[in-house]
Amino acid sequence: MALQTPTSHEQEWREDLRKVGFVRRLLAGRRWYGTDWWLVAISAVMVLGFITLALFPSVFAPYSPDEQAGPRFLAPGASPDLPVLVSLATSGITELADLAVPTGEPRPSVGVVRGVPTAQALNDRAQELNQELNGTGMELRPRIARFDSLDELLRAVDDGTVVAAVVQSTEFEQLAGDFPTVGEGMSIAGGVSSEGGFILGTNQIGQDVFSRLIWGTRIALLIGFSASIIALVVGVPLGLLAGFTGGMLDRILSVIMDSLYAFPGLILAISITAVLGPSVLNVIVAIAVLYIPTYYRIVRGQTLSVKEELYIEAARSIGARSSEILRKYIYPNVIPSVAIIFSVNVADAILTGAGLSFLGLGLPPDTADWGIDLARGQGFIQNAWWLITFPGFAIMLVVLAFTMMGEGLMEIFNPKLRQR
Amino acid sequence: MVENLVEVVGVRKWFPVAQGFIAGLTGAPKEYVRAVDGVTFEIRKGEVFGLAGESGSGKSTVGRLVLRLLDPTDGKVVFDGVDLVSLSNEKMRTLRHRMQVVFQDPLASLNPRMTIGEAIEHPLKIHMPQFSAEDRHARVLQMLDQVGLAPPEFFFAKYPHQISGGQRQRVVFARGMITAPDLIVADEPIAMADVSVRALLLDLMMQLKDEFDLTYLFITHDLATAKYVCNRIAVMYLGKIVEIGPLEAVYTNAQHPYTRALLDAVPVPDPRHRRTEPLPAGEIPNPINPPPGCNFHPRCPIAQAGICDGIEPVLLPVDGDPEHLVSCHLRTGEYQDLDPFK
Amino acid sequence: MEDILYSVRDLNVRYATRSGDVHAVDDVSLDIRRGEILGLVGESGCGKSTFGKAIMRMIRTPGRIDSGELWFDGADLMTYSGRQMQSVRGGEIGMVFQDPMTSLNPVQRVSEHLTETIRTHEPKVSELAATARAEELVEKLGIRRERLDDYPHQLSGGMRQRVMISLALALRAKLVIADEPTTSLDVIVEAKFLDLLRELRDEFDLTILMITHNIGVVAEVADRVAVMYAGRMAEIGDVYGVFAEPKHPYTVGLLNSVPNIDLDAHDLYKMEGAPPNLLSPPSGCPFHPRCPKAMDICAVEIPVLHEVVPGQATACWLYDEVGVAGG
Repeated sequence: MALQTPTSHEQEWREDLRKVGFVRRLLAGRRWYGTDWWLVAISAVMVLGFITLALFPSVFAPYSPDEQAGPRFLAPGASPDLPVLVSLATSGITELADLAVPTGEPRPSVGVVRGVPTAQALNDRAQELNQELNGTGMELRPRIARFDSLDELLRAVDDGTVVAAVVQSTEFEQLAGDFPTVGEGMSIAGGVSSEGGFILGTNQIGQDVFSRLIWGTRIALLIGFSASIIALVVGVPLGLLAGFTGGMLDRILSVIMDSLYAFPGLILAISITAVLGPSVLNVIVAIAVLYIPTYYRIVRGQTLSVKEELYIEAARSIGARSSEILRKYIYPNVIPSVAIIFSVNVADAILTGAGLSFLGLGLPPDTADWGIDLARGQGFIQNAWWLITFPGFAIMLVVLAFTMMGEGLMEIFNPKLRQR
Repeated sequence: MVENLVEVVGVRKWFPVAQGFIAGLTGAPKEYVRAVDGVTFEIRKGEVFGLAGESGSGKSTVGRLVLRLLDPTDGKVVFDGVDLVSLSNEKMRTLRHRMQVVFQDPLASLNPRMTIGEAIEHPLKIHMPQFSAEDRHARVLQMLDQVGLAPPEFFFAKYPHQISGGQRQRVVFARGMITAPDLIVADEPIAMADVSVRALLLDLMMQLKDEFDLTYLFITHDLATAKYVCNRIAVMYLGKIVEIGPLEAVYTNAQHPYTRALLDAVPVPDPRHRRTEPLPAGEIPNPINPPPGCNFHPRCPIAQAGICDGIEPVLLPVDGDPEHLVSCHLRTGEYQDLDPFK
Repeated sequence: MEDILYSVRDLNVRYATRSGDVHAVDDVSLDIRRGEILGLVGESGCGKSTFGKAIMRMIRTPGRIDSGELWFDGADLMTYSGRQMQSVRGGEIGMVFQDPMTSLNPVQRVSEHLTETIRTHEPKVSELAATARAEELVEKLGIRRERLDDYPHQLSGGMRQRVMISLALALRAKLVIADEPTTSLDVIVEAKFLDLLRELRDEFDLTILMITHNIGVVAEVADRVAVMYAGRMAEIGDVYGVFAEPKHPYTVGLLNSVPNIDLDAHDLYKMEGAPPNLLSPPSGCPFHPRCPKAMDICAVEIPVLHEVVPGQATACWLYDEVGVAGG
């Protein structure tokens, strides 16, 4: 009764283990690891989010990244302020083309408010339409009348001084109540709908910033992951070999790797892409080459220290071959640190990739990429701040997420390896 | 039929001390750490041979030399009639299943990434490829049972950090025994286990010895424990054997002053028997520059100037007994009569 | 009545782990008498090292002192502020650890280390005076003056331990807590160190708490011995009494499982089972699953430490409680 039989002892163990099942341990980890747990949890969620965006960009992005969906330089959240044609409701004029008259007839006058860019839009559009009317015997060459204020302009429409007017739709809506006879027609910008809404605005060619952001995730993550994976696949085996065998091989490899490592990263990447030419694959290769020495050094260092452990000597004493020792004893003990480095590495690779494309290197110019957006948007900081803010913010978030995850994992896993 | 399983003859292991760059250029004489400095003994089939000494005595190095985990600088190691040093690396590797080692630190000697089952199975995989996977699995479970880790399937899947220290040491034993070796070199096998568990482990060791017809080389610094298991014992000091013989003889009739001091210094778990004898002066000297003549003479209470500081003593029989040898000028050989305590 | 230097009452220390709380020190009360060498023994996980750290208030997260009183020389250390504790540590209570290599600054010469520590605790002492004090002490401990200019890695293990002791002496500590001080030392060096401890106790009127798992060391040097198991105090008493007639079954088992070089080989006692899992300790007396003398009550109620013969106290249901109604 007093002594525990082996089975009841085993039962005790089983129960203890059940008490600490995986989910429980995951949650119990909250208290144990403290801030680090939250770091990893939050950043893991973020990383998963980014990966989802990268895998299914069309689900999240309202527009295609190249589509010139809206007006240029639309501010975030603003609904496109399209210039519309207004006229007397009774006139039957709804769109600009209605103002075409047979050649030789008196040209209609269209009013605009002085100093507002609608005149330019009107002129451009009218010229376009005029081109189309060439040879039909009709022409569209409205006479532009300028008024000092919207109020005056609308009054002129009301009393017939001008046939129609081109005004900003939002402004017109404000005063529409005062002029019940004036009706809103079509927008003159040629059938562009403003229903989508551009949450983050549009850029200088009218592409939706938000969509480009989402599509940019794909390129960023693609470059980041691919480059890191290639660097890992090349660097880790070399590091293992160098650390394990030592001697001449180790020396030669280390010299090569150290020289690569000593190069300032971005410069190395620039030179490689400059030589290879612009393409996504070349960018990946350039960045991969940049990071191979990192993996090499870490794995080599770990291998050197693991090599001195007692269980390696024990493995030799049972007669294991060197290849077996490398595979079964050294590699599994070295890999955890690599997994952690990988995460931080991806962050760094994304940053480098963005840097490269910012400088105009590496990616073909029509790719939807944050770096390219940044480069293109710099000139417009004053007027259109959203062109660089959001891509910059995106880069920051992604890098932050991966870095946080890597750092948090490092804190959690390293002490564990020493724990009983 | 070879009576001596292991023969160590005149083995030396000198580790070169890294020289500074300038010293290398100027041709300064190379320095060596004389870890093992001329050791000769044999281990008989079926016995527990103890190798005792303090740190720096070279006992662990001797253990590794016997297993050829290190190559001797000088001398030879013969295992079951085969000169180990003459073997190629590959041949040596295939011989390993006959001689296994149990290290002091079980947590450090087990691969943290291998389950216990995998770790124990590994030597079997290497040396007995004729066994099928099921056979191997069954054999491992049987071994786990034999070392007292029950139920065996439960322990098979565990990782080293998930079980207790005493259990880990049993796993290390299991791994050592799985290929049914002839020789087990146990280097401080119970030093890291809890006190209450040590007796159990010693028991297990002796049980396995009977069951598997083993021979042990038991390396330890704990003379009290050695007394419980060893048949013969050799005491080492600074790379040399100073005394060797049957356990009874060495413990009750210790001849070498160092052996005497060592036996005296062991703390006895009985407050009524507190030590009163004086201890040898000084500390263990630097193995790079051992004292001339007898290693122990600077600390020896009976050292005689002119003899002990100039001439190296050799192992000679005590009172004509070929089993009990001591390496001291004043106990054997021509200078016996000078022993002031005789 | 004995003069008590340090009275620990009802100390409770817990550690938070991923799988729950570990009750490392469970309701332990202990009196350390002035001028004695008290041996605290137990196996790994019994809580003796935690106890040693706790009475210096050196427990850090994830551990914490849940409750208890620490009456050192008349003052309750639990009420001390961080700064006050800093001056107590070293100045009043010195500590000698197992591996002196990690407690000495490897890039600082020993003399500098000693001098600096002295001056940190007693800022009024001049550098010259501090160095002189250090040198004097270290010579007393058998280290030549010149060795003080060495770095820690140039000294042997035994010498480093002596340096640690000299630190405690230099700061005129009243109590020295030695946590496994000889475990990393060779047998002969260990013997010398124990001799030294005895001498120091006599000369400097030191009080020493010796925490160790080595029964032989305790028998060699201690005046009283305390045995801990699973965070609780199993037995405490005069060393001759406890060794000659141990009361607690754990103590009996422990003493019988230790090889004695003086005796002809007798069968070593093999204790069943293993030290308990502190995450879910056994109910009642923590030793009952392994105890050859366990009774029904042992699985239900935790026994209380009380005196069974003069000078020896134990926590075990085998011995009737003195003065409790119904016995």
